[in-house]
Amino acid sequence: MDFDDTPDEAAYRARVRDLLAEHAADLVHLDAGEEAADPREQEQALRRTQRVLADAGLVGVAWAAEHGGQAGSLAQQAIVGQELARARVPSLINHIGIGMCGPTVIAHGTPEQHEKYLARLLRAEDVWCQLFSEPASGSDLAALRTTAVRDGEDWVVNGQKVWTTLAHVSDFGILLTRTDPDRPKHGGLTMFVVDMHAPGVTVRPLRQMGGQSDFNEVFFDDVRIPDSERLGEPGEGWRVALTTLLNERVAVGGGGNDLGLSIESLARLAGEKLPGLPAERQVLARQAVGRAAVAALANRYTGYRRLTAISQGGLPGPEASAGKLAGTAAAKLVADAGVRLLGDDAVFAAAPGDGSGEDGAGRWQRNQAWLPGIAIAGGTDEVLRNIIGERVLGLPPEPREDKHRPFNASGSTR
Amino acid sequence: MNFDLDQDQLDAAAGAKQFFGGQASPAQARAALEDGPVAPGRKALADIGFTGITVAESAGGAGGSLLDLAVVAEQAGAVLAGPSLVTAARAAVLLADQPELAAALADGSRAFCVVDGSTPALDAVGADTFLALVDGALVVGGGDVVTGRPMDATRGLGVVTLTDPQVLVPDAARLWARARDVALVALAAEDLGTAGKAVEVGVAYAKERHAFGRAIGSYQAVKHSLVDAWVGVEQLRSLVWWAAWAADAAPDELPLAAAAAKAFAAETLERAAETCIQVHGGIGFTWEHDAHLYWRRAKVDRLLLGDAAEHTDVVAGLVLAGALA
Repeated sequence: MDFDDTPDEAAYRARVRDLLAEHAADLVHLDAGEEAADPREQEQALRRTQRVLADAGLVGVAWAAEHGGQAGSLAQQAIVGQELARARVPSLINHIGIGMCGPTVIAHGTPEQHEKYLARLLRAEDVWCQLFSEPASGSDLAALRTTAVRDGEDWVVNGQKVWTTLAHVSDFGILLTRTDPDRPKHGGLTMFVVDMHAPGVTVRPLRQMGGQSDFNEVFFDDVRIPDSERLGEPGEGWRVALTTLLNERVAVGGGGNDLGLSIESLARLAGEKLPGLPAERQVLARQAVGRAAVAALANRYTGYRRLTAISQGGLPGPEASAGKLAGTAAAKLVADAGVRLLGDDAVFAAAPGDGSGEDGAGRWQRNQAWLPGIAIAGGTDEVLRNIIGERVLGLPPEPREDKHRPFNASGSTR
Repeated sequence: MNFDLDQDQLDAAAGAKQFFGGQASPAQARAALEDGPVAPGRKALADIGFTGITVAESAGGAGGSLLDLAVVAEQAGAVLAGPSLVTAARAAVLLADQPELAAALADGSRAFCVVDGSTPALDAVGADTFLALVDGALVVGGGDVVTGRPMDATRGLGVVTLTDPQVLVPDAARLWARARDVALVALAAEDLGTAGKAVEVGVAYAKERHAFGRAIGSYQAVKHSLVDAWVGVEQLRSLVWWAAWAADAAPDELPLAAAAAKAFAAETLERAAETCIQVHGGIGFTWEHDAHLYWRRAKVDRLLLGDAAEHTDVVAGLVLAGALA
């Protein structure tokens, strides 16, 4: 057991630091929660940042060389992530593409698709999104209704997706559709790569409960997709989607990264606010801070165990679901402790513009209004518990009455 | 980074599991409540070498790390073994510069108990050699033990009045603090084993028991409570390993890691044990079922060496003082 870098890892880390310093002028630097005034300008800056990082060999670190990656280890990838955070470089604009869409294209795409998409994806020449959830199918993803009907060499797509992160800036997406409603729901699905600029694709931002717009609705009206853009065989879409979802659970919380604000930032806030509280309130506030810290540390170190297992050649298994589940709970404890430390300000929403910067008070209220979504996105807490219960603990599945019936007779279409 | 046990530790865990499986059981913990002996008992633990895991080789121990001890302690916890390896781990730190007493700990020729003032001390029952901090000095002596009716007889709790104390180390506050942190880790490791077992027993029953025509584990209400208990156990395992590793490899991190592990252990074991009873329904509330024995361990251990509130406050204090910076 050893938490320090190996000599090889230390050398790699030093190289990454040098590269980040060398290219500093070409990279966006933002504090957590900080946003540029002009979103369009920020998008361009983030695309440029990713291109610079990719050209420096810092994107797709663990991807195979044949796919444009660096053929490095997951430990190296984790080091790059840590050093980017240390240098205050925000998340890659194409994080959905790199974390989920890319691995899906690699696993199920044709050599032509690999050639066409992967290098551009790594350089953020194309930004990608993931078109899975629909208004009537969230947790029950396999009940989705967006249809694709074969027409000559094309498929014609109609339907609606929702909660699509980055769709408003995306060039391509992976799109899960129903191609055979006569088969049971999991068996009638097919995955495609869709050109987000194709005629008939309409993207509308969705305003979430906190007031911001981080997601989109996407409408498909007679959108034509060439058969050559199919990912996997017709009817195999569920298997393809599982590749995406497995990668998503590792990307979101699997490595033990904090899903909300960090315990370090809570410590800074508490250091500032605690001395002003009456003694009996200090005792309670310290309990809240301590509980949040313990939960965050437990999740952080569990993530290190998972990273160790993956780096020793293990595949990301259903256990990764526990990281997101516990990470969400920890993030809520951290946010709640932080908001309560704000005192009377806690009953007000963050003022516009407050919430930027490393220690802006408004980010606590913003984070509080963000976390209910984290408990839903990428697998609700309840779905994750089912996955762990059934696939890790071996408990019997609950009855799924529509599982073996043809989709169009299952009741899921109501 | 490599956050996993090595092959020797995995082998040690497998060996310990076999030993404890043959030497102790919830049935014996139940019998101990009705005046049966605590199993496996001091002699068996010393004979297999477990009281000397962290005692120096020069004093007849194995010279192992706290992590080596923690993987064994987890297996002890799984079968509710007694006396506790907490006492062995803590005494080994206190006796680091006392070769004769350390040798007596390793070979079992003395029965140690470590005393924190007037609070009931772990493994006081049957002890003949007591260690305590008196006016900043580490002392050793005999003791008069007053016990109550045990909640968990395997813990051997009793209030100790020292007799004839002799000073071993005059200025021992730091040594005492480290020994106490080490004890917290060992206790969390035993709790990890108990909590893991309680979840395992609950899961097995949820697969087998049918109600309304289906295995009860298929119902989300039952399944999700078992999952939450299991997630807690896996998160506790991470804190225990980190804290045990830190004791030898990063001593500056030990106070934070030990307090976090103990605070988390208290609540994790309690939830696991209560979930185990709840999943079993009526049978889980009976004397002959094992569920209450895990529950007894939970209700006692959560209060030993400071409760969750105390250790949560320690964590807060350290985090506020920049322990993570």
